[in-house]
Amino acid sequence: MAPMKGLTVFIADVRKCRSPEEEERRVNKELANIRLKFKEPGLNGYNRKKYVCKLIYMSLLGYDVQFGHREAVELINSAKYSEKQIGYLAVSLLLTEDSGFMRAVVAALRRDVYDANECNACLALSAITNVATREIAETLTEDIVAQLVSSSASMFVKKKAALCLLRLLRRFPEAVNAQQWAARVVPYIGHRDIGVTLSVASLVTALAQQHPDEMRKAVGLAIRRLKSLVADGEHTADYVYYRVPAPWLQVKLLRLLQYFPPPESPEVRAMLAGILRRIIDQSQDAARELQQMNAQYAVLFEAIGLGIHLDAGQGLLQDSAALLGRFITSRETNVRYLGLEAMARLATYIDDVGAIKQYQGVIIQSLRDRDTSVRRRALDLLYSMCDVDSARAIVDELLRHMAIADLALREEMALKVAILTEKFATEYAWYVDVMMRLVSLAGDHMGDEVWHRIVQVILGNEELQLYACRIALQSLRAPVCHESAFKVSVYVLGEFGHLIANAPDCAPIDQLKAVQAKMPAASPAARGVALTAVAKFANLFPEIKTLCLRLLDRFRSALDVELQQRACEYYALATVESEDLLPAVLEEMPPFPERQSALVSRLLAKGGDTEDQRTWVLGTRDTARAQQQQQQPSRPGPEAGQDGTTAAAAADGDGGGDAAQGSSASDDAGEDGQQHQQSPEALALVARGRKHYARLLWESDGILYDGDEVQVGIVAQYKPPAGRVGVFVGNKAAAPICDLVIEARAAASPPGDSSDAPGLEIRLSEAQAPPDSLLPLAQARVFFDAMCSGMFEAPPTLRIAYTLAGAPSELELRLPVTATHFVDPVTIAVSDFFARWEQLGAAGIGEAREVFRTPFLATDGGAGPWLRSVVGGMGFALIQGADPAPDNIVAVGIASTAQAGRFGCLMRVEPKASHGLTRVTVRATNAVLAAAVVANLSTILAER
Amino acid sequence: MIRFILVQNRQGKTRLEKWYGGYTEQERQKLKAEVHRTVASRDQKHQSNFVEFHNNRIVYRRYAGLFFCFCIDTNDNELSCLEAIHLFVEVLDAYHGNVCELDLVFNFYWVYAVLDEMFLAGEIQETSRSVILARMDQLGNLE
Repeated sequence: MAPMKGLTVFIADVRKCRSPEEEERRVNKELANIRLKFKEPGLNGYNRKKYVCKLIYMSLLGYDVQFGHREAVELINSAKYSEKQIGYLAVSLLLTEDSGFMRAVVAALRRDVYDANECNACLALSAITNVATREIAETLTEDIVAQLVSSSASMFVKKKAALCLLRLLRRFPEAVNAQQWAARVVPYIGHRDIGVTLSVASLVTALAQQHPDEMRKAVGLAIRRLKSLVADGEHTADYVYYRVPAPWLQVKLLRLLQYFPPPESPEVRAMLAGILRRIIDQSQDAARELQQMNAQYAVLFEAIGLGIHLDAGQGLLQDSAALLGRFITSRETNVRYLGLEAMARLATYIDDVGAIKQYQGVIIQSLRDRDTSVRRRALDLLYSMCDVDSARAIVDELLRHMAIADLALREEMALKVAILTEKFATEYAWYVDVMMRLVSLAGDHMGDEVWHRIVQVILGNEELQLYACRIALQSLRAPVCHESAFKVSVYVLGEFGHLIANAPDCAPIDQLKAVQAKMPAASPAARGVALTAVAKFANLFPEIKTLCLRLLDRFRSALDVELQQRACEYYALATVESEDLLPAVLEEMPPFPERQSALVSRLLAKGGDTEDQRTWVLGTRDTARAQQQQQQPSRPGPEAGQDGTTAAAAADGDGGGDAAQGSSASDDAGEDGQQHQQSPEALALVARGRKHYARLLWESDGILYDGDEVQVGIVAQYKPPAGRVGVFVGNKAAAPICDLVIEARAAASPPGDSSDAPGLEIRLSEAQAPPDSLLPLAQARVFFDAMCSGMFEAPPTLRIAYTLAGAPSELELRLPVTATHFVDPVTIAVSDFFARWEQLGAAGIGEAREVFRTPFLATDGGAGPWLRSVVGGMGFALIQGADPAPDNIVAVGIASTAQAGRFGCLMRVEPKASHGLTRVTVRATNAVLAAAVVANLSTILAER
Repeated sequence: MIRFILVQNRQGKTRLEKWYGGYTEQERQKLKAEVHRTVASRDQKHQSNFVEFHNNRIVYRRYAGLFFCFCIDTNDNELSCLEAIHLFVEVLDAYHGNVCELDLVFNFYWVYAVLDEMFLAGEIQETSRSVILARMDQLGNLE
């Protein structure tokens, strides 16, 4: 493209400005000038291109450019390539997806994708990756597939088509119908053009995660392609990068293979092992430049990853360990970094960590590396290589390092220390000592999860309690007692102080004094915990009851509301004239029911989010865990668990505020941790969950939940009053899932509803139980039979529980089975609709009406048809032409129940695009049904 | 996948930005400032080219006064990304001798075209220097 003189002059002018104000004046002058020019008739293409370019430049400088969109669209429609190119650039940089010009852009894309000039087709395909909308995904996917597999399309078109599909697939997985075409694109992974293969490999990698069965053919093709690159030297010189043949393609293919289970055929496995061996050998060649070394290592690290995945004979893994051992002492920081990361992955899988342990000293040294990125990897590696033999040394080292570690790293470090100590402790004393040191050292940098967990562990292990009491008293008497240490200590003494009451210096009065001495300096939250302990003392030790009461009495006038309430309640409890009340309420806490350590989930929540699934997850060594199961302090024996079951319900709700039925104290200890970690990712997950649920209110099939570990899909069929709901649970993690439980239960009828009316019944279909374990990428399917006996308000709950890598998890989802799912469409004459409408209105049995904010109506031309398909999807028949206003939708449906009869339902939806509002009125012969229809529409519209 | 690409000078002025993930305008402004703070403060000699960034990772390399920063998933291959940056710079160099900040400023539309030829939808598309250069020549000669 010839340079545009006006543009160059303008850029130079802007650069000459000496102050931001001057620059702004110059930009504003130009904006005014361009506005004027755009209004003049007969603006030629060159000038239009030039002005739009200036606008792009201004927007890149950070100025808000709100016009020129029309001109950008005109440029797209130009016949000249250079103008079209700038037009599409402007569209991708200036326009947002809700722009009014999007329609025109989509129309142009539709035309250009098929343009005989492949350069134009390429522009359109590139643009689609930038402005991918649902409409494009729904209407153009098939055409783009056709371009990819067409024999006449150029290599450039094919590459872009493949990545275009990838973009649409990631953005709108349900709209692109990947099953339809997935198998057709696989063969292109063997295409002779390396650029095409590379792009297709990215696409196939994504497809392999969603449709592993259809993509299985890719394995053979990828292996053959790899062999030709690595062993046979079949590649053109163009693709050799610093003497390494097509490193990017090698990396992509090696990665792709990690998404499939290892090949079963021994020959293929041998071939693959040969390829990996060759890559490892080749990486030993001394590289002449940094680029060559980086490219070699990029391939090498990916090969090691694949080797671990294949478990390619422990020989290969041992060699990898030796190689990585060299890397982590490399002078190149990048290599050290990657070496540590790969070793952490290896440590998680390899049977014998001996090969890694010999580097323990070096790894600990790396905690002091100059680069914080490297320090982080060293921490990860220590965490994953730790086993029962090395636990003491590693934990000691981490604790020693805690004081000097970067602030950003401390929380993670504290979590990891806590998890490792709990997992690998063989002596109770060690566990307690380490944890008390940990909370004193890092208390400021960690959440409440850590001290909650310590209390849970102590409560669950009788053998721990006596020693814990001694240490608790000791730490209260220390000159400085950290806040978290204080909480643990007073909690432990409150529960088990009686165990040491006969020892010298540990009499009840001494314990109370120790608690009291540290209270003034403690935070209100910590004092709250202390008050509970004091109340427990009052119960346990009659000899100091008066002293305890005096202390509680003092806090009855505390300024802090929480403390005041606790003090008042405890005081009242302790002074009430009843022999049984106090002991009953303040009884010793039962062990906590075994559940996933909040520490682990907290740590996992810190893991990254990725577009492709992770090929591995940082974890500790499972094998070591199995051996240690007996000795772990964190696992109460089955007897202990049984003892606790009666009171477990109480413990569930409120960990430490046990006594306080009326108290709002819920943060003392042992909260699940789930509520505490509303991280952005968790919130995003919840938001996505709502979207999925909303969609399933009017569509029968789709995804209900898509988390990091599992994906849940729904396929439903209704023959009111009966329904059959298929639930598909897919394992997205890299490790197998076990102890899988999938169950659904109907919501309990709301309190106050004494009618005992039958509602929804839902039960597992036939006798088919779900499998209780799931391999990575495998899917379990379960069918539920639903029977609508009468109208009901709340949807049933779907509970999915499983254990992944030793950590139990549980999901509770709303199952999209609502009253409106049992509605069938009914067609009535156009003239009858309003007659029935008035009748129902007069009857006044069930009417629900609401106005919703629907701003998308104004900007999205597709909203009208969408609304119609929603109403149709909910099981209503649209009565065309009954409503005088053409935009309005009127519809009729009838709900069937097994016992309560059938209920007619009329609906009227009045969208007002100009106000961005939609009014929905529903009249039915049943009030619950009317409310349910409006409630569902509210959910659907809110998530649009 | 690549979440975004930023080319910034030492003062933190962004000379090239490409967003592959869905980021709002406010998020973009915030990320640009954060990336600059994160990357510019690192020791270029003794530290790696990788740095943790929120839940992702930034792979970056400095060429004269310009930082080329690619934000990728923690699961991705860092070295392959690092060399993709180098390849990108080599292609730019082929046109401007030793590419400098001013070249990016005055020819921004051309730089975007090169970028679209090499990376698309957050994935690498073409890795042959000669194929890219020939294609850019061909497109540049079209009217």
